[in-house]
Amino acid sequence: MQEPIAEPVAQTNAQRPQAESLWQLSWKKLKRSISAMIGMYLIGLIVFLAVFADVVSPYDPNRQILEYAVKTTGFRGNVIYKKNPSRPDEPHPVAIASYTLRGDTLQYTDLTGGTYAISVGELYGTSESEWHDEPLYVLGTDSFGRDVLSRIIYGARISLYIAIISQVISLAIGIVLGALAGYYRGWVDDGIMWLTNVVWSFPSILLVIAFSVALGQGEWQTFVAIGVSTWVDVARIIRGQFFSLREAEFVEAARALGFGPMRTIFRHILPNTLGPITVVATAGFASAIVAEAGLSFLGLGVQPPTASWGQMIRDGRGYLAVGSNLELALYPSIAIAIAVFAFNLLGDGLRDALDPRTIKK
Amino acid sequence: MISYIIRKLLYSLLIIWGVVSATFVLTSVLPGDPARMMLGQRGDVTSVEALRKQLGLDKSLPEQYGDYLQKVVKGDLGRSFATNRDVLETIAERTPATALLAITAMLLATIPGILIGVISSLRPNSWLDTTAMSISLLGISMPSFVVGILFVLLFAAGPVFDWMPVSGYVDRGWEHLILPMVTLGIRPLSIIARVTRSSMLEVLGQDYVRTARAKGLSPTTVVVKHALRNALNPIVTTVSTWFAALLAGTFFIEMIFNWPGIGLVAISAIEKLDYPMIQGVVLFTAVVFVLINLLVDLLYVFLDPKVKLS
Repeated sequence: MQEPIAEPVAQTNAQRPQAESLWQLSWKKLKRSISAMIGMYLIGLIVFLAVFADVVSPYDPNRQILEYAVKTTGFRGNVIYKKNPSRPDEPHPVAIASYTLRGDTLQYTDLTGGTYAISVGELYGTSESEWHDEPLYVLGTDSFGRDVLSRIIYGARISLYIAIISQVISLAIGIVLGALAGYYRGWVDDGIMWLTNVVWSFPSILLVIAFSVALGQGEWQTFVAIGVSTWVDVARIIRGQFFSLREAEFVEAARALGFGPMRTIFRHILPNTLGPITVVATAGFASAIVAEAGLSFLGLGVQPPTASWGQMIRDGRGYLAVGSNLELALYPSIAIAIAVFAFNLLGDGLRDALDPRTIKK
Repeated sequence: MISYIIRKLLYSLLIIWGVVSATFVLTSVLPGDPARMMLGQRGDVTSVEALRKQLGLDKSLPEQYGDYLQKVVKGDLGRSFATNRDVLETIAERTPATALLAITAMLLATIPGILIGVISSLRPNSWLDTTAMSISLLGISMPSFVVGILFVLLFAAGPVFDWMPVSGYVDRGWEHLILPMVTLGIRPLSIIARVTRSSMLEVLGQDYVRTARAKGLSPTTVVVKHALRNALNPIVTTVSTWFAALLAGTFFIEMIFNWPGIGLVAISAIEKLDYPMIQGVVLFTAVVFVLINLLVDLLYVFLDPKVKLS
């Protein structure tokens, strides 16, 4: 309701029915989809964990306490931190069975039963709470005595990071090629479609593997390998969009105004394809996470000790044949499944929400 | 029609030429010296040079490309660095195992996939449909190696069930086929169910389906003869693309279940940086993919008179 004292201008503005853009309508529709919202919240959680991994993760993902190798879920350790002569700011953890403090001397029994006495000066920090800890390994430890939960949290970071950059590469290649093919048609289209079909003929994971073998292993090699192998879907969709949009009246208007093809393509047509691009990028994100995990599962891709989910499954797989410590393969598997599922849920919801045919007031 | 078939054949040849060239570029132009890799640590400068000469690596790139094209046309994909065996022979030897897995997995995926899709489309947005579509989305989201690992955990590794062998080939009993087949089938099953559903939904809204219903035809006749038949095109495309993709290699599953197919060859070649073998597998799988898609395109011409021949 309008306040009577409101200025007339404000009144007319408020009374004018709000014209909603496609994006606003789509957002309304997306919000109504429970599954898309679940996907969105899950993605939010994963992004949060990845961004704040330093704060959220209980321990340094690369901290090894070899005495605590392959401990089960919920294991509680007992460690003292000694000073590390080579690295003063990094404490050196020692797993112990028990300790007693007498004056300036600390007497402790290690896990082999040996008893040692050291001076308090050799310990890291000054107070007992600084040099003594009973770390809780919520999801257990791996074969190097590293905290699995921390590695899963840091794994989310690597996973998202690789996925984002590889998708930027993939979108850039796909959009440019798709736009050129769809706009110019003719031999340009024939040539680009030939290239697209050639790349499409390779199983994408094999292409990723081949690139990664050729480029070597590491972070940038991984996202380049994934990016240059997965642009085909983007190119096809953009091409299809340009095919229909290039005949639209606003494009004709742009041409009539004398705008060059580059300006017409990127300033006028491309913004109208943002919907399909969003959908294909979300799906591409899911595939990029799978590809990264697959690569590191094969021992390609991101190299140890960097925590990566695929690498963790690779390490845990060795225990499957033995039939023990199965959770080492289980937890990262669940992490991958949740992450990919979340992006697919959102992608599915976006596909429905951004489809102009299905939008109802 | 003949001219359509010839055009399709020529285009496939053009794609295969592209595939061969891409394989060449991927392994020759990018960094890394095969001769050095072959000799590894023991390679001194003179023996590396000798090997480069022997492999033709001292020639210019266009010359190397010409040599490579000639060899590929003759079916000579070189010899493995690791085993010194003929690459094509090794691949041919492993094809039956991969084919067995691909065919059984696709059978498992296609029939239930279409069935689930049709049932879902008949009651859209019912709890049955919602459940089926959510589960299928989960099925799409699970990478094959994750599913494989989870299946081994559940059914083979012991603590839950101990029903299945962890790994191995059918020469040790057919039960070895079950887990890899199911693992491989889940993704195509989920995708076929979803494609069938959306294709059916589109067709079920058409006037001719309403007419068929109004005529008083039995619901089964309407669904199967009128709707499904016309919804079949995207389904056939999905099935054939997936079949081609599976035949081209099922790397992770063969690795997890130690299944002696093309994928396992590829994996061990990657681990040993066995360049000719990697090159061979990449080329072989891409060519198989192109050929199967060509075959399906041609099948369409015979099966579906509506296919535009332009």
